[in-house]
Amino acid sequence: MWGLRSSRTVVVVGAAVVFVIVCVLPLLYMLSSAVATLRDAVSDGALLDSRQRRLLSNTMLLGAGTAALATVVGATLGFALARIALPFKAAVRIALAAPAVLPPYVVALAWVYLDGGFAYTLGGAIAALTVVFYPLSMLATEVALRRIEPRLEEAALIMTTPARVLRRITLPLAAPSVMSAALVIFVLAISEFSVPGLLRVPVFTTEVFTAFAALYDFGRATMLAIPLLVVSIVVASVAAMLVGGRLIATRRGVRGAPLEAFDAWRTAIVVVIVLWLFAAVVLPVTALAREAGRSVSVLAVVRDSGDAIVNSLSLALAGASAVTMLGVCVGYARARARATVGAVLDACWIVLFTVPSTVVGIGLIGIWNRPALGDVYGSSAMLVLGYLARFAPVAALVVAATVRSVPESHEEAAAAAGAGWLRTMGRVVLPQIRIGLLAVWVIAFILAFGEIGTSILVAPPGESTLPIRVYTLTANAPPGHVAALALFQSLVVLCPLIMLGLIALTRESR
Amino acid sequence: MTLPFLRLTSITKQYRGRGGIRNVSLDVCAGESVVVLGPSGSGKTTMLRVIAGLERPDAGEIWLDGRRVAGPRRIEVPANERRIGLVFQDLALWPHLTVRGNVDFAASSSGLARADRDARIEEILRLCRVDRALVDRYPHQLSGGEQQRVALARALVGSPRLLLLDEPFSGLDRELRGALRAELAALRHHLRLTAVSVTHDPDDAEALGDRRITFS
Repeated sequence: MWGLRSSRTVVVVGAAVVFVIVCVLPLLYMLSSAVATLRDAVSDGALLDSRQRRLLSNTMLLGAGTAALATVVGATLGFALARIALPFKAAVRIALAAPAVLPPYVVALAWVYLDGGFAYTLGGAIAALTVVFYPLSMLATEVALRRIEPRLEEAALIMTTPARVLRRITLPLAAPSVMSAALVIFVLAISEFSVPGLLRVPVFTTEVFTAFAALYDFGRATMLAIPLLVVSIVVASVAAMLVGGRLIATRRGVRGAPLEAFDAWRTAIVVVIVLWLFAAVVLPVTALAREAGRSVSVLAVVRDSGDAIVNSLSLALAGASAVTMLGVCVGYARARARATVGAVLDACWIVLFTVPSTVVGIGLIGIWNRPALGDVYGSSAMLVLGYLARFAPVAALVVAATVRSVPESHEEAAAAAGAGWLRTMGRVVLPQIRIGLLAVWVIAFILAFGEIGTSILVAPPGESTLPIRVYTLTANAPPGHVAALALFQSLVVLCPLIMLGLIALTRESR
Repeated sequence: MTLPFLRLTSITKQYRGRGGIRNVSLDVCAGESVVVLGPSGSGKTTMLRVIAGLERPDAGEIWLDGRRVAGPRRIEVPANERRIGLVFQDLALWPHLTVRGNVDFAASSSGLARADRDARIEEILRLCRVDRALVDRYPHQLSGGEQQRVALARALVGSPRLLLLDEPFSGLDRELRGALRAELAALRHHLRLTAVSVTHDPDDAEALGDRRITFS
């Protein structure tokens, strides 16, 4: 329909080049460095020495424990949201998803204030990461169940009990999505830097950071990143192959409705939801607020960190806008690509999204730390590049899923009427997905505002964002001071979520 | 006076913003086959779902074999205890189970002892003319007519007291439709089934039922 000489070609090719430079090159750089480092490491016997084995064991336990717990909690809640008629469901869904937008180290801090003893253990790190990542399993399960035609369960419900239907029909049908979400959680957990760093649990990500930032040993940092990178890529690839782009889904085309047969479980589920919300949302926020209340003045603390806050907000705004723009261009290309190409792109993007933040940081430094690129490397642009490298792949996945809900015939009709591609995008396609784009921007803003693993490595000297400041202050500032900043940060990321919730409620009530 | 096998008295079931049924009454005797004929949106499927126990009626009562199974806003006997066979319009074959898996799930759910189950499955597959070569295939590997036969076998394997058929031949070509109509009619007579079918096709209605009711 659109010729090769149309503006679409220019935009899509341009975006693809930017995407490769910003998102793919750091990973390729790390992979090529890994091969070189691997040879030396194998010859020195340093690849899996006893310390490395301990790191590997801790990392695997952290990933597996988080994935298992988050899946048990998330799949249960996802089932409740999809199949049980709950009151105020839109609000409940948003409240349950809230922990996902909190920076992981803020949740970990709250756990420290609640029970310092348990928090500083591997179990504590697993608990904190479970709270952060269970919404992913919950939403993936809900979407998977809503995609299942309810009649498949009804056909079984006229024969057997709801519990058996759940076991034999519902769960097997949703299993690929649940399993895939579990694998992604596993990768995100082993890629997480701030929680194990804060709770002093030695894992690969913290060691990579220490090797690079404390010991200035780039080679060792790269070597330590190898096992992490290999496990992340393999596991994320399996997850991507299981469900591909279906991990991300829009509400359009999603049909499943609550079934009356499961209503008998409603009271029990409501109790579970209330208890979980208390444990995962109310308790941590209250702990932060209580601790912050012990500081001299919350406002004074926030004012002291004014530069970091302004920096964070402006960089997150710029980062979210850049992530959304790049996501729109490459996401559109994926949505309109052939099915096989699209499936490969989905898999690549899932893998890119799960590359550990510290690995992305070192990859970016490796690419951009060159004399000719000194103006970029020594500026805040590195932070925006970091946000792009980390979040553009997931933005592209979401945009692609959203664009697919706009029939291609809409573009064909515009083309037949004489409109060019840019005009068609501006007047026909983008207006139809504006809510989805707003959601992508808000999510990108929230993620960028809380980003630390890449930022702490690529931030130029003297440049501090709020997460970096909170993280560094935990070592030498009074707890009340740190809690006040963490509380402020939580409120900033929760506000857009509440706005999104209000939009969802308004749309639902129409 | 003896109650009919199935009795619906003044059943109403309305959906928010959608259709449904209002004040429907129906008596079906044991062994009788009733066909409800009507256009799309007239509430035919809703009636079947209420009879099956998948929806609770807003008003009215449902009696099955002398026992009240549903009252106003209340399900007294849940769907899985009513011993009803239902063939859905889209068949609703479970995609993760093979033909045998689909039928076996229904057989085991009906309480058939393991020792008797295989023989019963074989018998019902034969009656429904499901080719033995298909038993290890998944639903998506079957043709439309084969899927229809499997759905019927699944509905019948538990020896239901009542068979409900929702547009049983929709989506099939004319030739296959004719063949399946004849097969189903023969099967119904052979098994002396009590059945309620809904369709919008007068030819289907002619072939399926002893008695016709029209929804408008």
